Amino acid sequence: MFSALENTSVALWVGQSLWAYPILLSTHIVGLAIVVGIFAMRDLRLLGFFHGLCPTAFLPLSKMAWMGFIINAISGFLLFTSQALTFISSTPFLLKIACIIAGMAMAGVIQSKLRGELANSGGEAVLSGSIKTLAAASLLLWIAAIIAGRLIAYL
Amino acid sequence: MLESIALIIADGPLNLWIQSIYWLWPILEITHFIGLSLLLGGLIIIDLRMAGHFREFNLTATHKLLPIVFLGFGLNLLTGVLFFCGDPLRYSVNISFQIKMVLVAFAGLNALFYYCKINPVIHTWNTAAESPPIAKAVAYTSLITWTGVLLCGRLIPYLGTG
Repeated sequence: MFSALENTSVALWVGQSLWAYPILLSTHIVGLAIVVGIFAMRDLRLLGFFHGLCPTAFLPLSKMAWMGFIINAISGFLLFTSQALTFISSTPFLLKIACIIAGMAMAGVIQSKLRGELANSGGEAVLSGSIKTLAAASLLLWIAAIIAGRLIAYL
Repeated sequence: MLESIALIIADGPLNLWIQSIYWLWPILEITHFIGLSLLLGGLIIIDLRMAGHFREFNLTATHKLLPIVFLGFGLNLLTGVLFFCGDPLRYSVNISFQIKMVLVAFAGLNALFYYCKINPVIHTWNTAAESPPIAKAVAYTSLITWTGVLLCGRLIPYLGTG
């Protein structure tokens, strides 16, 4: 299946075109900055930094994080096709994907908790211990995703 | 200028030290990626709010994010200098690196303009009204320039290495 993917015309274009791979990589880093950047700011706020910044204000911003995620899902998939067999047998790659899935799931949970707090307290969210634990886990997952992603080239 | 600096660094003690530790390079890269996420993440909120988006954020409270933006910048300045010292002859002649440095300097000037012209009056804004055009211009310039920095940075291995 993965070797078939590697031989599709899209995969061959990514692998052989002079510009496709570098442009996709550049797009991927912008998407990374949007996704990890926004989620990291949200997580740090939930952990108690940036007092004065309203935690529930991060709710509408998650649309942007999702936009970054979609940019990276597309650019990442295209990069993947060019060396599908290599990537699929790379441990750091699989760890990276696992971290991203867990990080996005975590974002969904944090999002619904924040919505609940917004509804309950009328704007002035009280940060519970459980939301802090989730934020800490989320932050670690995104850092782990970056580490694993970079190590694909080394391991 | 860059090339004469590169010639001084090449084969110097720092250059040889960086090259001698196999794991240092990926560790620097990982740190550089984390740093850029902090820098951009903070600026996305500060700049978009300054341009009038995401008004759920209190305008001046977004400035609480500045320390993390500076932390991200500091991490990347440090790791960036080490990259340069680790491979000075490659970076100094690389067109993508050179454009990246010009863009970083331009982003710095833009931030300086913000600090001198907008920051002193920002608390007088009517936060319910549209942001002033000059503030929008500075905010979008910042985001576009830093995006350019990311793009040029990622293209360094592919573009114009002499």
